[in-house]
Amino acid sequence: MLIEALLIALLAGLAGVDLFDGLTHFHRPVVLGPLVGLILGDVHTGLLVGGTLELVWMGMVPLAGAQPPNVVIGGVIGTAFAILTKAEPTVAIGVAVPFSIAVQGCITILFTAFSPMMHKCDAMAKKGNWRGIELVNYFGMAILFCFYFIVAFLPIYFGADAAGAVVKAAPQWVLDGLGVAGGMMPAIGFALLMKIMLNKNYVAYFILGFVGVTYLKLPILAIALGALAIAMIDFFNSNRAQPQAAAARNVEVEDGI
Amino acid sequence: MAFNDSEAALAAKAEKRMEQALATSSVERDDYVDTTPAEPLTKKDINRMAWRSLALQASFNYERMQAGGWLYTLIPALRKIHKNDEDLRNSMKMHLEFINVHPFDVTFLSGLVLAMEQSKEKISTIRAVKVALMGPLGGIGDAMFWLTWLPICAGIGAALALEGSMFGPIVFLLLFNALHFGLRFGLAHYGYRAGLGAINVLKNSTKKISHAASIVGMTVIGALVASYVRLSTPLEIHAGEAKIALQSGVLDKLMPNLLPLGFTLVVYWLMKKGYSPVKLIGLTVVLGLVGKFMGFL
Repeated sequence: MLIEALLIALLAGLAGVDLFDGLTHFHRPVVLGPLVGLILGDVHTGLLVGGTLELVWMGMVPLAGAQPPNVVIGGVIGTAFAILTKAEPTVAIGVAVPFSIAVQGCITILFTAFSPMMHKCDAMAKKGNWRGIELVNYFGMAILFCFYFIVAFLPIYFGADAAGAVVKAAPQWVLDGLGVAGGMMPAIGFALLMKIMLNKNYVAYFILGFVGVTYLKLPILAIALGALAIAMIDFFNSNRAQPQAAAARNVEVEDGI
Repeated sequence: MAFNDSEAALAAKAEKRMEQALATSSVERDDYVDTTPAEPLTKKDINRMAWRSLALQASFNYERMQAGGWLYTLIPALRKIHKNDEDLRNSMKMHLEFINVHPFDVTFLSGLVLAMEQSKEKISTIRAVKVALMGPLGGIGDAMFWLTWLPICAGIGAALALEGSMFGPIVFLLLFNALHFGLRFGLAHYGYRAGLGAINVLKNSTKKISHAASIVGMTVIGALVASYVRLSTPLEIHAGEAKIALQSGVLDKLMPNLLPLGFTLVVYWLMKKGYSPVKLIGLTVVLGLVGKFMGFL
C-alpha cells in the first residue's frame, strides 16, 4: 500500500501543478480516475468514477480567477476511495467533496502567503537578477507539487482502512441517498456555467440542446457540431451586416446584455 | 463577467487595473536609454516564449496575480532585446507590476508586448496596452475555454469513460489540447507579427467571438443537463385498485427529463440568489439522504 500511496501522491503532485501551470488538463477527473485506477489495479472502476466526477466538476473552473473546489484532490481521493472501499462511483462524490473544499481553502492561503515574494522579485529586478526571478517561479511550482503530494498521500495511506470500515458500517439508505445526491450533483456545475452565460439571448440555445438529447437522442458531439454551425452562421451574418447597420445592431445587442 | 459587461463597466475595470498596476510599480524612468529598435525576434524566440507561457501562474499570488510568471515568460526575449543593462532592469520592473490575464490566450498579449519592446516603445505605452487588453482577453478566454471548449471535451470524454472505454480520457486530452496548443502558439506569432494593429482587431471581435462561443456553450449545456443530471421518483399513485408509477406513468408522459431540468433550474435560481456552490452541494446531499429515507427519491 505504501508504494501505491506514493505513486498516487506523485500523480496528484504533477496534476496539482498542471491545474495552474501547463494546463494540459490531465488533472481533470476523467483522466486522473483511470490513472489512479491503473495504480490500484482497477482501471474500469477508475473510468467510471472519473467520468462521474468529471460531470460534477464541469462548472468548477477558475472563472475570473476565483478558486473553485479543488478538482485534483477531489478526483484523486474520490477515485482511490471508491476502488479501495468498493463503493459506488456516486458515493465517491460524497467522499471527494469535503476534501476538495478543504484544499480550496488551503490554496487561497498559499496564494496569499506568496505575495511577499513579489517584493523580493522587485529587489531582484532592480539588480537585473533575471535568474533569481526564474528561480522564484520554479520554487512556486515546487511548493504546489509538495503541497498536493502530502495532501493526497496522508488520507490514502492512513485513511483507506478507516473509510472502508465506515462504508461497511453505514446503513444502506445512507449509501443509496448519497448515490441519489451524486446523480443530482452535475446540476450544480451546469447551473454555475448557466449563471455566468445565460441571458435571454441564449435561452433558445439551451432549449435546443435539451430537446436534442431528450427527444432526438442525439449524442453530445452531434449537438456540439450543430451548435457550431449555428454560431458560424450567426458570426458571418453579423460580419456581413456590420457595414450598413453597425450602429443599429450595437444598440440592439447592448440592450440584451 | 467580463464578456457580458457594458462599455462603461469595462472602462471602469480598466481604470482600476491601471491603478493596481501603478500601485505595484517600481519603474523610475519612462523611456529606454537605447531607443534604436532591436533586431527582430525569430520564430524560435516566439516559440520559446509560448512554451514558457505555460508557467504563467507559477508564482500566482493575490497581490500581483500572475506578474512573476508573466515576467518569466518574457525573460529570454527581453534579454535579447535590451542589450543595455538599465533598460533590461526597467523593463523587468514594469513587467512585475500587477497583471491578471487569461492563462490560455495570454500569448496574444505577450507577442504584442514583445513587438512593442522590440521597437522600444515608451514604458507607459506598453503598460497601457497590457492594462487595456487584460479585460477583453479574459472575457474571450473564459467564454471559449472554461464555458465552451472544456464542457464539450469533458462531456464527450466522460460519456466514453462511463461506458468503460479507455478512449474517454484519450479523446478528451487530444481534443482539448489540439485547440489549446494551436491557439497558444498561433496567437503568440499573430500577436508579435500584427503588433499594435492587432488591438483593433481584438477589440472589434471580442463581443462577436464571445457571443459565438456562448451559443455553442449554452447548447451543449442544455444537452448535458438532459444527459447527465439523474433524478427520478419511485412514488406511485393509488387510484382505487389501479397503481400508476408517477415517474413512468405521469412525468415521462409529460416530458422526459422533467425532474432533472426542474432541479437544474432551481439550483440556477438559488445561485442567482447568492447561494454558493459549496452550500448547494451540501443541500443536495441532504436532499438525497432525506429523499431516500422518506422514500420519495
